Order: sequence, then structure tokens, then C-alpha cells
Amino acid sequence: MSWEFVLPDALLHTSPGGAQDAAAGAGVCDPAMENEAFAAFYSRSARPLWAYLARSSADPALADDLMQESYVRFLCAAGAPALATDGEAAARLYLFRIATNLLRDYWRRPRAASIEEIPEEFFAARGSAAQTEAQILLEPALRQMKPRERQMLWLAHAEGYSHREIAQVMGLSAASIRLLLFRARRKIAALLRACAADDGRKR
Amino acid sequence: MKLTSCPYEKEVRQLMARGQWPDACPPELRAHVSGCRSCGDLVLISEAFRHARVESLAAARPVAPAVLLWRAQLRRRNAAVERVSLPLLGAQIFACAVALFAAAGFAGFEARSGVAWLTWNYWHDWFMQLPQAAAAQLASLSAGALAGSAWSWMLLVPALATLVLLGGVAVYFATDKQ
Repeated sequence: MSWEFVLPDALLHTSPGGAQDAAAGAGVCDPAMENEAFAAFYSRSARPLWAYLARSSADPALADDLMQESYVRFLCAAGAPALATDGEAAARLYLFRIATNLLRDYWRRPRAASIEEIPEEFFAARGSAAQTEAQILLEPALRQMKPRERQMLWLAHAEGYSHREIAQVMGLSAASIRLLLFRARRKIAALLRACAADDGRKR
Repeated sequence: MKLTSCPYEKEVRQLMARGQWPDACPPELRAHVSGCRSCGDLVLISEAFRHARVESLAAARPVAPAVLLWRAQLRRRNAAVERVSLPLLGAQIFACAVALFAAAGFAGFEARSGVAWLTWNYWHDWFMQLPQAAAAQLASLSAGALAGSAWSWMLLVPALATLVLLGGVAVYFATDKQ
């Protein structure tokens, strides 16, 4: 048995500025409140977060891992917005920011395969046998976008975030987001039209 | 790059957010969108992403929240343990340094107080004479030099063994993360 499991709880509760304070900072200091508030928040935010991670990374398995890690970091973070006082919107933005940073760390890490080399099937959403028209058009277009462009486009057009909110999530200025998003939008619109034209010719 | 956005873009965005595009949309606005590149791009991209979002939400398989709460609790606990064990690690490193310093001091003291084999000259002479009379030198080593300092040997060997043992234990605890 590892001795850390027999560490007295008092030690965890009395340490100044410690982990308990971090939990209190996240607005989840009372265990019962913690469970209920977190479960409700999780049920509303887990699927959108997974969708964001899966579409940005083009890897559903990676999205699973990063989603769990995002929530664990959210619960442990000292500066996380409190669900009770700061509201769910702020907590959600903070959560998306953690996920964005995790994605960025993942892309920075040296790997055997680059993001461009990821096979096409990773883009397919799990469990969907029949691909819809939107998917058929969007996936090839998304593959040609940079990871950061995918993130911005997803936050803007799938999640409906404003420039200021996207700036908060991505750690950039709102002015930069405006310009980058404008370019990304032009680029993906051209790609979608090209994909639609290709698709039309094939049919 | 010039950022030009259409004045109707906001209205189109609101209609799409409310799910009123294109059925509950005024015909003039629909006619505008079909001719405006900016609004056309917005509609094309937003529709594609909204469909993709619906599909991705259905494909997500989130784990139970209790698992994440448990993992977060474990991580907090480990962080607390690490904070507590930091001073202990410092004390262990200090003990290790003191043990090494004591061993070096003890060896130096023994060298000065007459243990012949700890001096450089002894080994230099022994090495120089080795080719001529190795066997005789070895015999003198065991019978002469060492027999003269029997008391020092009795003290030196257990002391060094103890220091090595304690040093090893200190290094083990200092490097052990479990």
C-alpha cells in the first residue's frame, strides 16, 4: 500500500493555499455540492467539448483523452471560475481554454506522425455509418485547414462564440481573431465550394 | 487585408442561431444572401459546421463524472503529498552530503595518522618495486604494514561500511518518488 493513501485528510484540508483552496476556487469545496454541480455542468459541456476536440484534432481517441484531462485540470485549477458565482458560461470558456492549451501542447510534442499524415478515417465521427452531405463536404475541407484555423472556425460557427470569447479561449487578442477568422472563413468557403463542385461532377 | 463585412451579416447570423434560416426568412434577405459573397460564405460555413456539430455530439461517449472527480481528488492528494515531502527530500540530501563529508574527513584523518596504505607514497613505492619483487611486497603488505595498524583497521572497516550503507539508504530515499 502506498503511504500517500493513508495521508490524513486533515493535512489536505489545513494546508494554506493548498489543493483544497484550489477546489474552493473552482466553487466545489463541499463534496456533495461538488458532485452535483460538477455532474450537471459535465452533462451539459462534455459533448460540445468532445466535438470541439475531435474536430480540431481529427482524432476521436485523442479527443477522449484530452477531454478527461481537461476536466481533471479544471477541477484541480486554483484560478478556475466558480460554477456558483462566476456562472457556467465562464466555466465553459475556461474549460475550452484548457482543452485548447492541451491540444497545442499535443501538437508541439515531437511525434512519429504529423497532423497532416493522419488517415482520413480518423475524421469520421464514431458510430455513424452513413455520412451526411455536410460531412462529406466539410471533412476534406477541414483536412486542408491548419489546426488553429479549425479551432477558430469550430468555436465561431459550431459553438457560436464571439470574437472576444474565442480570443479568451485561444489566448490571442480579439483583433487578431477577427483577422485570422476572416481569412480562415474565406479559405474554407472556397474549399467547400470546390468540394461541392467536385462532388457534383462525380455524380 | 481589408476586413469588409456585409451589414446584413448580423441579421443572417441571428436567424441561423434561432433556427429560422431559410424558412422563416424574408424573401428580400434570401435574395440578398444569394448575391452577397460574405453572407453566402457565412450561410455555407455555418450550416456545414452546425450539421457536423450535431453529428459529433451524437458520437461523443463521455465517461461518468464520478471517474473524473476521483481522478481530480487523487491528483490533488498527490500534489499535497509532494508538497509535504519536499522538506523531507531536502533533509535527505543534506544527510547524504554530511555522510559523504564525514567519510572524506575520516579517510583523510586516517591517512594522516599513519595508515600506510592510504598514502600516495606507499602505493608509488609498491608500484615501482612490483616488477622486481611482487610476491615479497605482497607478503610485507600483509605481515608488516597492516599488522602495525591493526587497531586502525578494526575502526576503519566498520566505519566505512556503516557510512556506505547509510549513504546508500540516504540516496535511495532521496531518489525514491514512491
